[in-house]
Amino acid sequence: MESLFKRWVILSDSTMRKKYEAYIKSTDAKIAAFLEFDVDRGLGLAAEVGKGGELEGVPFAVKDIIAVRGFRLTCGSKILENFVSPYTATAVEKLIAKGGVMVGKTNLDEFGMGSSTDNSALGKTNNPWDTERVCGGSSGGSAAAVAAGMVPFALGSDTGGSVRQPAAFCGVYGLKPTYGAVSRYGLVAYASSLEVIGVCARSVGIARTVFDIMKGQDEKDQSSLNSGTDAPEPEAGVIGVLGGNLGLDPAVDRAYRATIDFYRSKGFEIREINLSMADYYVPVYYTIATAEASANLARYTGIRYGYRPGYAENPEELTRKARSEGFGNEVKLRILLGTYVLRSGFQDQYYQRAQRLRQAIRADFDRAFTRADVILMPVFPTQAFLRGQGGLDQFQQKLADRFTTAANLAGLPALSFPAAVSDGLPAGMQFLAPAFGEARLFDIVRLYEEHFPCPQPPSCKPEWS
Amino acid sequence: MYQSFIGLEIHIQLLTETKVFCGCINRFGDEPNTNVCPVCMGYPGVLPALNGEAIHLSYIVARALNCTLSPQAVFERKNYFYPDMPKNYQISQFSSPLGRNGWIDLEYQGKKKRIRIHEIHLEEDAGKMIHAGDMSLLDYNRAGTPLLEIVTEPDMEAGEEAELLLQNFRRTIRYLGVCDGNMEEGSMRCDANVSINLEGKGLGRKVEIKNLNSSRFVRMALNYEIERQTENLDKGVKVIQETRLWNENRDVTEAMRTKESAHDYRYFPEPDLPPFIPGAEFLARVDKGLVELPEARRARFIADYGLNETAADFLINEKATADFYEEVLKSGAAPDTAASWLQFDVRKILNRGNQELAGSPLTAQRLAQLLSLLAENRIHGKIAKQVLEAVFAEDKDPARIIKEKGWEQMNSPAELAALVDKVLAANTKAADAVRAGDEKPLGFLMGQIMKETGGRAEPRLVQKLLKEKTG
Repeated sequence: MESLFKRWVILSDSTMRKKYEAYIKSTDAKIAAFLEFDVDRGLGLAAEVGKGGELEGVPFAVKDIIAVRGFRLTCGSKILENFVSPYTATAVEKLIAKGGVMVGKTNLDEFGMGSSTDNSALGKTNNPWDTERVCGGSSGGSAAAVAAGMVPFALGSDTGGSVRQPAAFCGVYGLKPTYGAVSRYGLVAYASSLEVIGVCARSVGIARTVFDIMKGQDEKDQSSLNSGTDAPEPEAGVIGVLGGNLGLDPAVDRAYRATIDFYRSKGFEIREINLSMADYYVPVYYTIATAEASANLARYTGIRYGYRPGYAENPEELTRKARSEGFGNEVKLRILLGTYVLRSGFQDQYYQRAQRLRQAIRADFDRAFTRADVILMPVFPTQAFLRGQGGLDQFQQKLADRFTTAANLAGLPALSFPAAVSDGLPAGMQFLAPAFGEARLFDIVRLYEEHFPCPQPPSCKPEWS
Repeated sequence: MYQSFIGLEIHIQLLTETKVFCGCINRFGDEPNTNVCPVCMGYPGVLPALNGEAIHLSYIVARALNCTLSPQAVFERKNYFYPDMPKNYQISQFSSPLGRNGWIDLEYQGKKKRIRIHEIHLEEDAGKMIHAGDMSLLDYNRAGTPLLEIVTEPDMEAGEEAELLLQNFRRTIRYLGVCDGNMEEGSMRCDANVSINLEGKGLGRKVEIKNLNSSRFVRMALNYEIERQTENLDKGVKVIQETRLWNENRDVTEAMRTKESAHDYRYFPEPDLPPFIPGAEFLARVDKGLVELPEARRARFIADYGLNETAADFLINEKATADFYEEVLKSGAAPDTAASWLQFDVRKILNRGNQELAGSPLTAQRLAQLLSLLAENRIHGKIAKQVLEAVFAEDKDPARIIKEKGWEQMNSPAELAALVDKVLAANTKAADAVRAGDEKPLGFLMGQIMKETGGRAEPRLVQKLLKEKTG
């Protein structure tokens, strides 16, 4: 395990640190993954704990929707642009306790709402493979920072694919843990019942180590759980795959077939499974996520913190102005949608119906996992798309969440990995496992990694990466 | 003839150490915005964590009010914007509150009556907003303090009955030790609703009344409202379903701006808190938290101790007094004597000094000692009252006071006989009159002896001696 981070022990040595900071400066000028970068403050937080551990001297980054004391917590929004967090998220605290140095906060779609990171009010982040293209989202800054060799891992949050999709776009590993496996305390809520803190990582081993450090029940998050058992997972033998026309871009389709062939060649049984509820993932996801968002985002009023308009006649006007000037369009759209689906008299038609369908989706996966040990599917129908013309509009992006939202609706763990590089861009696949089956995911993806190690964008190859 | 239907929504602040979803101190009257943290201020990224003490006290109340306990209490978000509510949703309960279908028994106008409880649910309180000139100031100390809401069915008919229910309820929660029931400070709050209709026609159009800061205002507002609605119906004017505010300066209810009552709270289950499922161990602890409630105690005092209703009412009103009383009885004091002392002599001194029994120099042991000295004839009634005063004044045991002041009763026949002789010798005129058969001067002679002894002579013995020596 020591060797995993060996090359990344950068910040214990002043020469290395200088080189590192110079690299970040030049690289992030092109990528713009970070909203805030401050090694000194990160070292300060590590020094407060003192003991050190397996992450000593290792830099890591955190999506700017997760609280780290003394750093801003903007959520990519104008409404929190100058908000400095007075506390640290439990998951980050655990990493710092192991010596990790939290060097900066990464860009994201505003409040985690988006698939490109272009919905950030505070700047655009470019894909390290092609700066004309988006890095994915919403944890785009974290995925780009890892892909560009700026950190070995970066935390993200995954509400409907927000770790796995940018990881796929940038060619790194992206773990969405089981719901409740990692404390959400300090993760700014977008859709509380769906989201979890995850990790973008340079290798499977790094993702695994980081997950093992972060996981576990937290008294500050009463929805968090300990995984049932520490017994070693039996190795997966049967891989469930999707049949029919999946509507994938050719490069992604080729990568999916090739990945299936790889595992078949390694002796796995490939079994086509039928996920009968698949058509409901996206509508159910957007109904539940927006409903929860409409309540979760109600606290931003400019009264206690955050963006405050210059003048208001009364508290109501202050709130109205702060919100209409402070939130971006996608956020406003989702708040309105969520308010709509929760109206009395319409709940049964929308929110309650979505909850019932969610139960059916869970049951569908329970059935699927009686036939397969893990399920392999694409992450996103396309590779990283272009901005503007030739890209995807907001509605197309939502429809494209059809492979990622399932894990969130069912609370299952999923691990995305770079399966191929095609036309100079990575294509990502993901495995899903039953709840608390993370070990199974790490094991099976590790096998792929042994044959096809993490690709690196040609222009970003620092000595430690 | 009209029939009226009154229901109450009572909120009580639970006496927990800390707030309901964070570790901040739950205390009234501190500097504004000092008992706050990221959680109760609704900062980005924080989560609520249910306070075990708050849910425990809530279930105790639900049990005490005879509710069916929910096997799974669900928290939900109640959405509305108000500057004193940090998250702009209140964590409350809606579809599955912790208690349902309970009741409170009343004795109203000489008849027993059962007022049904619709439900009991736990929620968080909001902060406070104060408007000062052209500024609005906010204090979040109260934000996130545990609030228990008790909703009755519309089973009451008059303001007096609602007032009685409130007094009864207040006594119960004070007995349970879950709330101090102070309506002036707002630790107990009450909204009332009332509708009237022709008899036998069921509920009418409901009017809610807010801003009721005492049980007296509840009574007055309801009676005012019943009269107002009656007049309306008599004139053929429809009662509007609305929320009205009690104006305590003018003793009237006034319509509130209708805009504010058109809320759609958009309830949905709180994803941050799993449903609370009370286990067997938890329920056993709830049972342990139950005490004998005032009504039951009153009945027992009357049955077991032969007290009259007035005495029983007085004794059970505060749990501390009732406990004190039974502590005194443990040492063998006669129930009626002890009750009478507490009800009159002790109360008089307490009222004079504006003090409470608890924490005063009079402990149950001291009153018991005093009553036993009295019963053993070591002091008599008048001295006993002086001793009681001295206990309060000097904070000493009665026995010690008697000893120090030399107040012990004189009951040695030889000593008293000599005294009687002395008094008879000094008052020959009176003595001769008695000897001649006139009993009237006996009282005078008795008085002289008491004067000589500072009231300590045992009266019956003196009387006997006087009769012997003048017979």
